[in-house]
Order: sequence, then structure tokens, then C-alpha cells
Amino acid sequence: MLSEREVHIVDIKKILSEKDFLILDGAMGTMLQKSGLKTGDIPELLNLTSPEIIEDIHRGYINSGADIVYANTFGANRYKLSSSGHSVEKIIGAGVNIAKNAVKKSQREAFVALDIGPIGQLLEPTGTLTFEEAYDIFKEEVIAGKDADLIVLETMTDLYEIKAAVLAAKENSDKPIICTMTFEQNGRTFSGCLPSAMALTLEGLGVDAVGVNCSLGPRELLPIVKEICEYTTLPVAVKPNAGLPDPVTNLYNVTPSEFAESASEFADVGVRILGGCCGTTPDYIKALNDILSTKKPTEREINIPSAVCSSSKVSVINQPRIIGERINPTGKKRFKEALKSGDIDYILSQAIEQANAGADILDVNVGLPDIDEKAMMVKTVKAIQSVTDLPLQIDSTIPEVLEAALRVYNGKAIVNSVNGEEKSLQTILPIVKKYGASVVGLTLDENGIPKKADDRFKIAEKIMQRAIDMGIPKRDIFIDCLTLTASAEQAGVMETVKALNRVKNELGLHTVLGVSNISFGLPNRELINSNFLQICLSHGLDLPIINPNVPSMTGAVRAYKLLANIDENAREFIDAYNNTDTAPKPTTSGTLDVSAKGLLFAVQNGLKHEGALITEKLLLTTDSMEIVDNMLIPALDKTGADFESGKIFLPQLILSAGVAQAAFEVIKSKMSKEGSSVSKGKVVLATVKGDIHDIGKNIVKVLLENYGFDVIDLGKDVDYQAVADAAVLPDVKLVGLSALMTTTLKSMEETIALVKKVKPECKIVVGGAVLTPEYAEKIGADYYAKDAKATVDIARKVYSV
Amino acid sequence: MIKIEKINREEALRYLACNSEKAREDLAPLIDECEKELLSVLSPKFTYRYFDISFSDKKVYLKDANLVFEGNDIFSHLDSCKGAYLIAATLGSGVDRLIRKLQIENMAKAVVTDALASAAVEEVCALAENEIKSRFEKGFFTWRYAPGYGDFDINIQKDFLSLLDAQKKIGLYTSGDTMLLTPIKSVTSVMGVSDTPLPPKKRGCITCNMKDSCAFRKRGSHCGY
Repeated sequence: MLSEREVHIVDIKKILSEKDFLILDGAMGTMLQKSGLKTGDIPELLNLTSPEIIEDIHRGYINSGADIVYANTFGANRYKLSSSGHSVEKIIGAGVNIAKNAVKKSQREAFVALDIGPIGQLLEPTGTLTFEEAYDIFKEEVIAGKDADLIVLETMTDLYEIKAAVLAAKENSDKPIICTMTFEQNGRTFSGCLPSAMALTLEGLGVDAVGVNCSLGPRELLPIVKEICEYTTLPVAVKPNAGLPDPVTNLYNVTPSEFAESASEFADVGVRILGGCCGTTPDYIKALNDILSTKKPTEREINIPSAVCSSSKVSVINQPRIIGERINPTGKKRFKEALKSGDIDYILSQAIEQANAGADILDVNVGLPDIDEKAMMVKTVKAIQSVTDLPLQIDSTIPEVLEAALRVYNGKAIVNSVNGEEKSLQTILPIVKKYGASVVGLTLDENGIPKKADDRFKIAEKIMQRAIDMGIPKRDIFIDCLTLTASAEQAGVMETVKALNRVKNELGLHTVLGVSNISFGLPNRELINSNFLQICLSHGLDLPIINPNVPSMTGAVRAYKLLANIDENAREFIDAYNNTDTAPKPTTSGTLDVSAKGLLFAVQNGLKHEGALITEKLLLTTDSMEIVDNMLIPALDKTGADFESGKIFLPQLILSAGVAQAAFEVIKSKMSKEGSSVSKGKVVLATVKGDIHDIGKNIVKVLLENYGFDVIDLGKDVDYQAVADAAVLPDVKLVGLSALMTTTLKSMEETIALVKKVKPECKIVVGGAVLTPEYAEKIGADYYAKDAKATVDIARKVYSV
Repeated sequence: MIKIEKINREEALRYLACNSEKAREDLAPLIDECEKELLSVLSPKFTYRYFDISFSDKKVYLKDANLVFEGNDIFSHLDSCKGAYLIAATLGSGVDRLIRKLQIENMAKAVVTDALASAAVEEVCALAENEIKSRFEKGFFTWRYAPGYGDFDINIQKDFLSLLDAQKKIGLYTSGDTMLLTPIKSVTSVMGVSDTPLPPKKRGCITCNMKDSCAFRKRGSHCGY
């Protein structure tokens, strides 16, 4: 029995070395409902109004054998308590205190966990709560729970949210952390998070145990728990429900002895921390304790694969995986311009294109001298992970940029890169360790890149040793033996290959290599690149960094995997090359009609690729503005007229716009090389504060851009002030606002008022499902647009183009 | 786990204002392609709960719950009923992600997929309704009426979800301080039930408070209610 004690930090590993199993408590909610809690009431308020009820429940669990009780603090966050009239500090403080009292009065030794559940709002990108706000909310809870013995983060369904909570816990306390998430029958959480991705990410962040609670009964959870066990070296915790609830009575269908029986099956796969969730009572915990006391723990065979992940996709490095190199401004004028103008959609299109082409991982580099690289990196990482689930490789030379990106990355990333220089080792490796990333180690140091393979090998060895000393496991260290250009250092090519081969075989590390540099300065670069790639693959390259959009490069990897008997039954290869595209496509005549007529045909028929090609060819002979004004815009006008007369329909109008967009892209990249621009004027667009339905606004954006307007897209749920700030920019004559819900029309009105105040001459056009011309006028808009096409007409009028 | 295998295209075409014979034909390949991709990310879920109801001061009270329905429309929707089912349905956040991705990749597909998803979530509601009707009651049911329609205040959305424990059961939230549902492709509704046959209710544009600003009516169509 514990005597009077202060805060007592639990060492879970130590306990598990002394005890066979660690028993967690059962449900709090179920017990509270039994004692009359009404649906919709805030359960944590009972900490203040009826502490004796809560204490009784804790005592019941302790006396049934629970080693850890969860304080009644699950939902005690700023957001959920906002209407309660009480502070987080007070309610959590009381909750922890009650649990401590229960322990004191009981006959057994037990620990008190600060219990932290989900905030109750969805995080970005699906919701609007930012990662940083979530962190603050959790931080407040962690600090309020300072008297607890450990911290439990449970019932989470969003890996991003639990990551914010883990960081808040680690950075504001030194208590151990147990994390459990809630999975559905399909083996994923509501947000699509995989058990393996959870295990990889949370172990990386340095928690003390991971596992599952709630959602399903013991039987249904078994496959999920097995997957977690395969992806973590940590102790695994499981708190299942008492079966599944009856939809009418809400009662659970498993008895205490059945529960204990099937829960004990978890012990057989190596689980050492067990308790109960919804529907369980002290009877269930007692039954569980009884049955576990007759069992011995099963030793888990721990052999964690080398892997990186997003929340919903795990890339295991057990075969060559393609890292896409295209998100990088080096040598790309158009990309640089996109970074400078904050054109995030351009960067996203690069991400999606590579994903579609077969990339497994995306390298992200947004380094440019004149921009705030850290802010841009955070924005880019958040945006990319909102449209693709490929794991990311964060690429920067600046430690602060790497750290900021790793913080907001939802998963386990790769850091590109550390090298053998002392300064690099000292600054980069701690960041890699803190965020649990994998790391690329470049075989260079203070003396530059060694010529000889053996010297590069030595640097690799040094990086490995230093990383291991830091606590980074071998499986997370990837070595880049550095490609030199064949034209400059022909003799060096095979040194790279040799070093790579030694690193792979003698150090047992995975290898990574930027391939494309090899052919710099040579003709027919593609031929050199794909051949060099083949050589490297056959010498043990695991992670080629290439342009996946080049078919011969992606093809080289696919062919290698087939020939090396990695791609079993050639399934992947056949998938990629047999009927690659089953979607029906309008056919074109064999030869390209490089003329206004040809461009019109492409626009009318949604032929994006042809449209871009024709534009490219036209640019050889025709002035950019000539193409825009006399070919592209008339073609768009024609489809616009067809749309208005009902000959074509909205999706087709947008398809045409997509072709024009592709043509514009070609013109823009030519002009950014020449340093000129096609802009017909700047238009600000925003979906108003409180509204998150932005597809309408985005359609308007595409159409406006195709008519040559520069669009400053402020996104959705935009603050009034942000719109006003953009409106006052020089050259902005028109602001477009969109709202979909009646509830957000009020914000539209406020936004208009503010814009008119700061720039009375600025015109405002509004649109959205619930608006009418009359209402638009009433709230002070200058124009009402019934659809995207109408907005373009208004913009042309305002700018007289 | 519930499954949707086919999406009601007519409904989707109506949302796109494309329900003519020509549109149906012209858009068929595009819709096929979008439907396939949408079905692959769909994670449809619903949950519902029954409450006895009582009436006073033109308000509807749910028994044993801290929620009151206010507004003439919901009152007259339920006024012959003894109880009501609160229903919530969602397609899951994967659909939001797909539509976000498509808006970058191919806006035409995004628009079509958005419409298909709206039709699909309606089908999830219908599945919930069918389950309720087949499993629980030999009663007489009203149609489903949604917060935000007529003068049925959308501001109850947060409490509505909390009564259903919708966050935990189906991953459905309101966004920030607004009452917008997230994931976006989600719907809540109320279906009344009575032991005796219900008088026929007028259902259509005339009784709807949105009739002056309705996007469907603007183009000579209607929402289907």
C-alpha cells in the first residue's frame, strides 16, 4: 500500500519488468450513466458537484484490481467546457485529486492517470481547428493535470490530433504517456488512420505505450492489435468495449467472463497492459484480473520494419521505393514564381502528378533566398498532406525549417538531410530524434565529398554511429552516397555505386540516392539517368530520388522489381502497363492542328494534353498575348456561350476551362522565363468567415485565371480583416465573396462593410447557393453573380478587358 | 458496416442542373469515372436515436434530453407524433480529401464528384430510415426534416450531434463555432413517428422558408422535398 506521496512518476517499463500485466480501469461513462447522468450533461462537472460518486467509481476499479485509474478528465478541455462556467484548471485539478483520494483510501497500490480525450472539433484539413490551436488546448490540460502520475491520451481518431497532444504532453511535463486510438471494423479510424501508422508515428514521438481503446469488442480488435504489435517495440495497451452496443437500448452484449476470456487472448499476442472501455464495470475488470493472474505474458518477437508513413499510408522500405523530386525550385523558374506569389495550388498539382505517376514518397523543398522558408514549408506540408497520403521527405538545409515541418507533419517523415560535419550532426540529429523521423545521411563532411568509396563509407559509418548514440534506430538511417555528374567526374560514377553497395551490405543500412544529377551536361540525359538507376538498383539502392513523371525512370524501378522477383507475379508491373487508362477519351486526329482552330477544338473537347501541346507549338511562332487574346479567350467565350444556351453543361464548361488552364500554364512558364506576365488584373477571392464549402469559389478561380486574371485566393473561412488587407493591395479592383449557408451570410455582410470602409472604390461581387440579387444588393455588394461564368463577365467589365 | 454500391445519378444530375436527356448522355463517361473513384473512398455511416416528444408553447421537447426544437416548421412536422428519431449520416472524411484533391487535379471531376457525394449521403440517410422502419416500429412515419430547412434553427446542430454521440459513433462534428457539419458530406435529420396514420403534410416549396433564395427554384427546379 502506498503511503502519503507526492507526484510519483510511473516508469511503465520498470513496472512491466516486475509485474506480468498492468491492469487499467474500466468505463467511467457507463458508471456515470448508471448513477443517473443525463445525456448531454458534462460528466466532468461531477468532479465539483458530486466528487463522492466519482471517488466511488475509482475505488470500485482499484478494488477490482486496476493498477491505473483514469481521472474523470476525459473531456475537460477549453472547448467542451466553454459553456460550463468553470476553468479547465479547476475541473482537471479536482478530477485528479478525487482519483488520488480514491487511491489513498483503497487497500491497494494504484496510479492516477490524467485522462485526455479528443477536443471535440475536427482538425484541419477536414475541420478548421489548426494544429497549433489543438496543441494549446492540450497544453492547458497537461498543465492542469500536473499532479497526476501519468498521462493517458485515448479514444483519438485523428493521428494529427493525438500528435498535437503528445507534443503538448512531452513539452510540458515529464510524465509517461500511454496513447490509445479508436478503430473501426474496417481496421482504420474515422479519419483513415492505420494501426501501423499510429504505432510508427507515436513510437517515434517517444511515448511509453501505444494501443487501442473503445469502438469494438475484444474479438473485433484482435487483428488491429496484432498489426500494432508488428510495428512497435513499445508495450501495447488494449481497452476494449464490452462487445457492441445494442442500437436501441445502448447496452453492451458481452458478459464479464466472456469479456475477460477474449481480452486475455490479447495477452497471447504479447499485450501487457489491459483494461476495459464502454460498457465495462468493476465486475469486468475483476474477471479480467482473475484470468490474467493465471497467465504468463507472451514474449513478443519484435522485428519492426523500416518504414515511413502518413496517417493513412505506410511505405515499408523492404523494396525500392520512389522518392519524387519535383517539389523543388532548383532550376525551375515557374516553381520559383509559384513560391514567391504563394501559388500553393501549383505546388499541389506537382504533388498529385507525381503521386499519379507512381511516387511512393515525396521530397518537399521550398528553399528560396527571398522567401520565409519556414512559413512556406509549414504551409506547403499542411497543404500537401491535405490532398495526398504519400509520406513526405522534408528537405532543407535550415534546422528550424526542418523542425517546423516535422512538427506539423501528420505521420513519420524522412529528414533530408544530415551529413558528416560536426555541426550538422549536432543540430540535425536531435530534431530527427525528437520527432521520430527517418533521416538521410549524406556522405560528405568538413572536407567535402571524398573521391573514394571507402572514405564515403567511413562517413556513413560515423553518421550511423552518431545517430545510434542519439537513440535513432538503424532502421531509420538512410545513407546517400552522393551522385557526381558523369560529365565532370566520369571515374567517380562507380565509386558512388561501390560505396552504396558497401553501406548496404556491410552496415546493413538502407540507401537513398538522387539519381538525375548523373547526366548533367550530357545529351540524352534520360538514357543516362535510367541506365544509372538500373545499375544502382542492382547494387542495392532502396530509395531512388527521381522524377517519377518520366516514364523511363519509373519504368526502370518497376522493371527491376519484376526482374528481381520482388514484384510477385508481376502484379504491380501489369497493373501499371496493362490498360493503364480505361477511361474513355475523345479521340483526336493523328496530327496536331497548330492553329486557333486546333486550340478551339481542344478547348471544346476537354483535350488538356493536346491544348498544352498546341500552345507550346504556337508559342514558337506567335506572341503570348496574341494567343491569349485572339485564340484562348475566344475559345473560352465560345464554350461559355454554349454553356449559357444549354448546349454544354457545367462539368463540360469546367473541362474546357481545364484545357485553357493547361494552355495558360505553358504560356506562364514561357513568360516567367522572359520575366513578363499575362495579367489582366488582380481579383481577390474568398469563402467568407465560418463557411467551409469552397468548391464554388474554386470554380470561379479556375475560370478567372483562364481569362488571364491573377487571382489572390484567400481560401475558406477567411477573416474579415484578411479580405480587407488583400483588397487594399494596389491593382485590386474587384473582390469576390462566396457563401453557401444562410448562417454565413452575416459574415459576408460584415466582410463587405469592412472592405468598403478601407477601400470604397473596390467593387464586390458575391455568389453562392443561398444568395439572390436582391439580397446581394441589401448587404452592399456591387454585383451578384449567378454562376462562375457570370463572375468572369463581371470581372471583364470591371477591368474593361 | 454499411455499403453503397451505386449512386443515384438522377439526383446528382439534378444538383448539377444537368438533368436533361442530352446531359445524361454527354456526361455519362465522366460520371462513370467519378463514381468509381468516389465509391472507393466512401466510408458511409449513420447513427440514430429515438426520443419521446412532448409539446408546449409551440416548442418540441425531447424526453430526458437537454434539447428543445423551436420553429413553426419542425413543430408542424412533428405535431401529430409521439416520438422522433434523430438521425445523422456521413460519408466520412475520405470524400472530403478526394474532392480537395480533384479540385487541384481536375475541377470538372471535382464538381461531378461533389454532386455524386451529395446524392450518396442522401442514400445513407435513406438506409438509416429503412433500418428504423424495418427494425423498430410498426408505426407511421413522417419524412426526414433537416435542421437548417425552413425555420428549423441550424444552431441546434452541435447539441443534436452530442445527443447522438455522433463524434464517437460516426466521426461527425460541427466546425468551430459555426454549425456546419464536418466531414462536409454529412446530413442530420428528424423523422417523427406516430401510432396512428399521419395526416398528409404539404411538402414542397410553398411551406419552405428558403423559397425566395433557393438555388433550385432559381433555375426552375426543386430540392426534392
